[in-house]
Amino acid sequence: MAKDHRAGSKVRGDKLPAILMASHLLEGDTVFLTDGDWTRDPSAAKIAHDAETAEAMEVEGKAAAAANLVIDPYLVPVELTDAGLPVARHFRDAMRQKGPSVHKDMGKQAEFQPLG
Amino acid sequence: MYRYDEFDERFVRERVAQFRGQVERRVDGSLSEDEFKPLRLKNGLYLQLHAYMLRIAVPYGTLNSRQLRQLARIAETYDKGYGHFTTRQNLQFNWPKLKDVPDILDLLADVEMHCIQTSGNCIRNVTSDQFAGVAKDEVEDPRPTAELLRQWSSLHPEFVWLPRKFKIAVTGAEHDRAAIKVHDIGLKLKRNAAGDVGYEVIVGGGLGRTPMIGKVIREFLPKDELLAYLEAVMRVYNSDGRRDNKYKARVKILVHETGEDEFRALVEAEYAKLDGPTINAPADEVERIAAYFAPPAYDALPETSETLAKARADDAELDRFVAQNGFAHKVPGYIALTVALKEIGAVPGDMSAAQMRAFADIAERYSFDEFRVTHSQNLVLPHVKQDDVPAVYAALKAAGLASANAGLITDIIACPGLDYCALATAKSIPIAQSIAHAFADPARQRAIGPLPIKISGCINACGHHHVGAIGILGLEKGGRENYQITVGGDASEHAALGERLGPGIDAEDVPGAIEAIVDTYLAEKEGEESFIETVRRTGAEPFKAGFATFIESRAATASEAAE
Repeated sequence: MAKDHRAGSKVRGDKLPAILMASHLLEGDTVFLTDGDWTRDPSAAKIAHDAETAEAMEVEGKAAAAANLVIDPYLVPVELTDAGLPVARHFRDAMRQKGPSVHKDMGKQAEFQPLG
Repeated sequence: MYRYDEFDERFVRERVAQFRGQVERRVDGSLSEDEFKPLRLKNGLYLQLHAYMLRIAVPYGTLNSRQLRQLARIAETYDKGYGHFTTRQNLQFNWPKLKDVPDILDLLADVEMHCIQTSGNCIRNVTSDQFAGVAKDEVEDPRPTAELLRQWSSLHPEFVWLPRKFKIAVTGAEHDRAAIKVHDIGLKLKRNAAGDVGYEVIVGGGLGRTPMIGKVIREFLPKDELLAYLEAVMRVYNSDGRRDNKYKARVKILVHETGEDEFRALVEAEYAKLDGPTINAPADEVERIAAYFAPPAYDALPETSETLAKARADDAELDRFVAQNGFAHKVPGYIALTVALKEIGAVPGDMSAAQMRAFADIAERYSFDEFRVTHSQNLVLPHVKQDDVPAVYAALKAAGLASANAGLITDIIACPGLDYCALATAKSIPIAQSIAHAFADPARQRAIGPLPIKISGCINACGHHHVGAIGILGLEKGGRENYQITVGGDASEHAALGERLGPGIDAEDVPGAIEAIVDTYLAEKEGEESFIETVRRTGAEPFKAGFATFIESRAATASEAAE
């Protein structure tokens, strides 16, 4: 089967800063890599500002997928808000950080502080 | 409706147990995601943007109150309190957790439901006319055929790894409400000159990235030859369909590349080699299935109801509801009612658990405990006594289900789009909502008349945009969501693919563009012509001109704002 469409990688130009996003195996929920762990809170995602960190995070993501903790980890280019929070540059990834636009009472937007 | 026998019950339970084992092995790490994915898809379990999604089969769109109450229970226990009816007459839950799915499947099996083959490269849920057994223009009820096909195709060992997914639709009526010309196989029950009942067999229709209208490969197939003939079609496809390129793997591409005549010859040659009697269902089995679809015990009633006539005269809202959502029943004194899941501003096809329970009560009390799901993401109460319509309307209204817009411009089909779907390139539900708001005035909707708008959030066309009288396709362009508009699409017996009006536009411009298209229609309309009839007569040109004027005016406004 062909790989699912993944829009995040389509962002043009510099791919940094970036965060690492995946789906949690059991919950299906979107999760973000932190320092050595995973969080459901989009504000708590670890941010890679340089290529070396991004690469190390990707390696960590692949290991977590191989360990059947998460599915489909990938780097997501972000812009930082004035408060330093990472907002995905692509609208598809931004949707995953928030939850469905037609149900503000569901997904991350219902549980966590907005990013910006 | 059909009820499981001992064999069906065991078959579904065994499949649940098998899937439970697969989930256990995934959770304990014995199966990798790459290994598990095709297995979960075969059982309707997707991984979407925010969560897993479970697609439940609603065979040919028929359900009863017990099943709907169970769906309400699942929605509340394992999901977020609602379900979503799809363009293939199925139901999706958007938030289940992997570990809960086997328990959900057990609850479904308790009410004779399952998720078997609601995804994957196999024969999917067979769809049908929502007015099966009701419509006056019906040669024969299509549901026994659909049920026979469901039994034949469920885990058919030869057809579980097809080149690509495969969708079959059946209608028994002259007017096609099942979109049979845009399915992999479309079947139409008909009579030949001798008066015998059989099928017109259409193969190779489909939407998606390469939309095609199906080709008639058999004008008349005797009814008792159905399974063997379809087996021949499936064998040709299974053997010759492309497996090298996912985007060219549907049977429509095979029919197109092989040529209609050559494809027909291949099927007939394969059919000649098959031993029909060993494949076709025995007559007593066909009769056993058909018996489940015997008409309910209708009362002998006058053609029309005085009670309803008086109630309509007294209540303008009820009158509009019946005029718009009522469908003539073949039995005197009865009516079928479309219940549009399309309140202004609602998510097309969404239904809350509370609404499910209220609707289950209504169907149980007033429609012989039966209802239908339509491919337009609406429901139908198929057998309502006209005398009962005022009470049914009041109950529907109390549940927020009495939207009198069936078939009108606000009765919009929309796929889940980027709000949920991992494949989507743009949002579609908010587009439907913004159009519905723009045309919310009921009097204006009625003045515009029937106008099916269909919206897809990507090229895969789950929202059937190619066959919308107005079709909207959401794509990504330069990092933004961008919408292409077509007119002239038609999913009926006049099947046609829509023609693009011009360049893609931004989301906020879509309602304005639809206004411009409607204005063009109202200016061009002759007599009582519906929108699609006008487009058929004039072609797309006047609509392109109206659209171009709209784009120019938007560009002018934008440049003024910039200054």
